[in-house]
Amino acid sequence: MSAAVDGELSEREQQDFDQHITWCVSCAREYQESKKTKHLIREKVVRFKAPESLVNSILKLTDSPS
Amino acid sequence: MVRPVHKFHASCDGHSAQAIQLPSVLSDMTSHNKEEQQISPEEAQKQRDFQEEAIQHINALYNYALHLTMNPDDAHDLVQETYLKAYKFFDSFEKGTNCKAWLFKILKNNYINKFRKNAREPGKVDYDQIKDFYHSIKDAQSDSEDLNAGYMKSLMHDEVYQALHGLPEEFREVIELCDIEGFTYEEIANMVESPIGTVRSRLFRGRKLLREKLDAFARKYGYGTEE
Repeated sequence: MSAAVDGELSEREQQDFDQHITWCVSCAREYQESKKTKHLIREKVVRFKAPESLVNSILKLTDSPS
Repeated sequence: MVRPVHKFHASCDGHSAQAIQLPSVLSDMTSHNKEEQQISPEEAQKQRDFQEEAIQHINALYNYALHLTMNPDDAHDLVQETYLKAYKFFDSFEKGTNCKAWLFKILKNNYINKFRKNAREPGKVDYDQIKDFYHSIKDAQSDSEDLNAGYMKSLMHDEVYQALHGLPEEFREVIELCDIEGFTYEEIANMVESPIGTVRSRLFRGRKLLREKLDAFARKYGYGTEE
């Protein structure tokens, strides 16, 4: 199920999976719910920007390697 | 020792959460390089390549470091050390492979060497500490967007964050690496040093737990869970 949600199935597995969820209601539902959860995490988790001081210090470090 | 990761394949395409805007200081790099008279042309080329390939992942690395250390100062140090090591070993990075995955692996190794001995036990998350940490910086920095419909839209960043951070560490890590950072199972397996089957089952169980928590939030605040 995870592999289906993440697009990690092989072509053959994907075909089998697609076929399975056309008649298996519980798997079809589970699949939809899992996709929703994945999407939610992607969109809602707060991402922080690296502090500018950190970016600057790294640029400096790589500009004049010791 | 940092091991180069050669088996990663390019999959750098990110999603919206990774659409990072780097500070304008980056655009000044080239001119800055020209001022460095002492360095060899090879070294200058290496610097340009490194800055082009590696620096763009700094926000993702910083978030991963925050996730691991739960402490902005430690995250700062960890990212800095990671870039130092990455630069030192940049010759071993195979061009065309996934630079972001390579950097994440270096960061994770660095973290294990540096912090793991004193770190909290996996699964025992100090929720109060997380909440305090979160509230201390959430107002200042955020680059995510609201795009969802239905009950998802009603769920706040805060609640999703709480639900995610309430998960046992081993589940949370793979979910973040997969859903937020967009790594493949193979790349994640390499980072967490577990078989792909383990990654897959952690994702499945983690998402299930997460959904239960989110549904509980939705019910608590009276949102329908059906769209």
